[in-house]
Amino acid sequence: MRTLLSDAPRASLTAFYWAFILYLLLPLTLMMAMSFKDANFVAFPIGEWTFDWYVKVMQDKQFLEACLYSIMIAAATTLAATTLGVWIAMLIVAEGIRGQVIIFALACLPAVVPGMISAISLRIFISTIDMPTGTAAIILGHTVHAVPFVVVMALTRLRSMPGNLVDAARDLGADSVVAFFRVTLPYLGPALLGGMIFCVLLSIDDFVRTFFLGGYRPTLPMLIFAKVQGGMSPEINAMATLVLVVTAAVGLYAEFLTRRARTR
Amino acid sequence: MVSSNTTAAYGTVRDAPVPKYSTGVAKVVNSALYRHTLGAAVESRIGRILLLAGVPMIWLIMLHVGPIYQMLKISLLSHYPVQPGVESRFTLDNYAIFFRESIYFTPLIKSFIFATAATAATLVVVYPVAYYVAKVVRPEGRSKALLLLLVPFWAGELIRTFSVIMLLANRGAVNVLLREIGFIDRPIPMLYTSFSLGFGLVYLICLYMLLPLYSAIEKIPSPLLDAAADLGAGPFTRFRRIILPLSRDGIVSGCCLVFLTCIGVFATPMLLGGPNTVLFPETISGFFHGASDKWPVGAAFALIMLVTALTAAAIFMRLVGGRKRRTI
Amino acid sequence: MEPVVQFDNVNKSYGKHVAVDNLNLSIEGGKFVTLLGPSGCGKSTSLRMLGGFETPTSGRILLSGKDVTKVPPNKRNVNIVFQDYALFPHMSVAKNIAFGLELKGLDNQAIHRRVSELLELVQLQDYASRLPAELSGGQRQRVALMRALAPDPDVLLLDEPLSALDAKLRQQMQIELKAIQEKTGKTFMFVTHDQEEALTMSDTIVVMNKGRIEQMGDPHTLYGRPGSVFVANFIGETNLLRSTVVGTEGDVAALSWNGITITANPGGLSPRVGEYLYVVLRPEAIHCSAAEPTSGNRIKGKIRQRVFKGNHTSLMVEVGAGTLLNTLVHPSDVAQLNGEDIWVGWNPETATVIPDRHAHN
Repeated sequence: MRTLLSDAPRASLTAFYWAFILYLLLPLTLMMAMSFKDANFVAFPIGEWTFDWYVKVMQDKQFLEACLYSIMIAAATTLAATTLGVWIAMLIVAEGIRGQVIIFALACLPAVVPGMISAISLRIFISTIDMPTGTAAIILGHTVHAVPFVVVMALTRLRSMPGNLVDAARDLGADSVVAFFRVTLPYLGPALLGGMIFCVLLSIDDFVRTFFLGGYRPTLPMLIFAKVQGGMSPEINAMATLVLVVTAAVGLYAEFLTRRARTR
Repeated sequence: MVSSNTTAAYGTVRDAPVPKYSTGVAKVVNSALYRHTLGAAVESRIGRILLLAGVPMIWLIMLHVGPIYQMLKISLLSHYPVQPGVESRFTLDNYAIFFRESIYFTPLIKSFIFATAATAATLVVVYPVAYYVAKVVRPEGRSKALLLLLVPFWAGELIRTFSVIMLLANRGAVNVLLREIGFIDRPIPMLYTSFSLGFGLVYLICLYMLLPLYSAIEKIPSPLLDAAADLGAGPFTRFRRIILPLSRDGIVSGCCLVFLTCIGVFATPMLLGGPNTVLFPETISGFFHGASDKWPVGAAFALIMLVTALTAAAIFMRLVGGRKRRTI
Repeated sequence: MEPVVQFDNVNKSYGKHVAVDNLNLSIEGGKFVTLLGPSGCGKSTSLRMLGGFETPTSGRILLSGKDVTKVPPNKRNVNIVFQDYALFPHMSVAKNIAFGLELKGLDNQAIHRRVSELLELVQLQDYASRLPAELSGGQRQRVALMRALAPDPDVLLLDEPLSALDAKLRQQMQIELKAIQEKTGKTFMFVTHDQEEALTMSDTIVVMNKGRIEQMGDPHTLYGRPGSVFVANFIGETNLLRSTVVGTEGDVAALSWNGITITANPGGLSPRVGEYLYVVLRPEAIHCSAAEPTSGNRIKGKIRQRVFKGNHTSLMVEVGAGTLLNTLVHPSDVAQLNGEDIWVGWNPETATVIPDRHAHN
């Protein structure tokens, strides 16, 4: 009886998995399909298909500016978060420093604070240091959000690093700084690149921090949010589809990089 | 004989391209600038520690702790931002307001109910999927099965929320389909209700649950299951007695992650919720946009939410986590 | 001649644990020196102190006459071959070897010349552009060796570098390592817990135990004339005969070993009657025969166990109630010893006598 039954859970799990995939992909697929609808209002069935919305979006100055702005913020965030994250990770794995557990907890703090609260506390913080809302504040907020992820990724990789690689570099005449740049950093290499791409995605995707810290220039999520609140149109679908395709491609590449780093 | 040997030897030397070595490093390290700055710093123990710990510690204290500290400070002030002529004094009033008025109290309770329900639903839905990928799929197919689950993750919070609208709107896919097959005459209003919000939340966060669960279940050695089966345990017993207890770490961290994310979600309730689903973040947001003199109240509320959410997560960890082997 | 390496009253302790206990050691240039001992004897710590990775709690370390006790590793002219090689995984073989040369400030041509020369020494010219991951264990070992030799160190330190290799490759590498040492004329300081490795390669062996030097000498002396019970046990197989002195006459001492009377040469010792001594008797020094030997120590015994080991057979011979001797018999002689009863005998001069330190405690 048992042996007869043992295949049943397996089959139902497989079915469940595919149902779940369907659940995950269906809304996105519908969203993408709607971007090709040849009508002004968002409703099923689609009926006539068209590329017009894409043409319109690609000529939409506001959209293109938001793209550039988001990319600029993401680039600055990634640079800052990677530098800080790796630096903090180096401190956590360093020998002869006490309180590593506390430093690690501090580094992870922004990751456990709910997004909304993090955004508000940052809003208050920049006001107490007399920093205006706008680009710099957004970058600061995004960096705080991204640092814990870089720390964790860098730590994972650093912990897998044979301890005597740095010893070997020092033995051959490198001081700590040279050893870091010539041995540790290249060793972090691909894992770090994956982490950086993750930072880019985090920043481009971030809504709540940008909402509280931003000025009048909209980032991509702000623009889409404003448009959705202003009323549905397949134009939004076309925008979202473009963003989705690009970020998914970048994400896939990041996944590929971290996977390769892990197998090496 | 001898000459041919030398030619051959020369030949190999000439044929092999001379690689480019990093001779620049020595130039930098030996330069006066480097020797008197970084080079001198790493010579001494103090210099090394400062170089290693300085920037990280400043960042951590300023920007990881600083904002929370400032929020706490302002939540205890009567007025902020400070206006000319108005004196700001220390007060606990901002916290008292929360307990006095139910229009503030209710959204927090709602937030907790939504977050808890969404966490529970996510756990139930995602666990079989995580188990399937970690244990049923053959190892070589695992990364592909996982990758397929990650695709929507890259779409971003807002786009995913937006796509749920396509599914649940009055003229969305579900209603249109149901009408086509003659199941209903008029659309079921699903959008801007608790249902659409719950659905959207689960859709938004299920991957935060998937990854911790997957890595915990994947670590369970398969021979344990074979051993249990050999001792006469059926699939259900194996699940209850072996898989479930051993994946506890994953359940705990997945649930905490999902719960804390849900509590802080801001855009989703605004897009998918209706008038009946005003959650706490939206309430707090009101104190910051518009009347700016209500900042202290907003700060106090945010802290109340932070403390209750972290306490709830900590209690959950304690109850379910058991003997947790914590490693950094 | 001035010693290349000198440990001067060096102590190293971690909290209460004493890792190195008042180490005094001078090493001459151009020698293959091995620090041998069980794990935790302080040999690796001594090596790491010489490399600059540990600072002595007290004492001085001199390198070519210069005090380097507090000099960081990057400023000392010693290089280490690490136990697991520690090759930089992201650099090619050539770049690994070039690493130390780059930091010395050599120009591209000079680096290239030196790298090629070293690669040729171990016949890895064709592997210059490979990554360490694409090499076999033995090849990695050679690259690590060449990387450490490249900057021309005063002393080359080797921290159990062969322990990751399989038995056959290990033997081959022992010979190669010795050959490279002889060819380059460098001082090699090799750390191992494997006594066979130490015997094969070393000019001088320093046996360490519990943070101290037990004995120092060339392999023949250490094997043939161990200075302590520890050394006798640690190097090679041995029979340790704890005996009482019953009488002495010049170079000959009469001893009683579990009631059996034997003779031995006490060497420099002048034992008194009633004192305890150890007689160190190597299995191959014992001669087994069916007939009674005519001279030397001889005891009648019974064969209790035969273990065939290929090039010899090991016999356990019971010479008294519960008293066993481990002997070694060549294949050609085994055939004669088919019965249970045999004679064992040895020349008293082949055995070493060491005092029993514990007898007085």
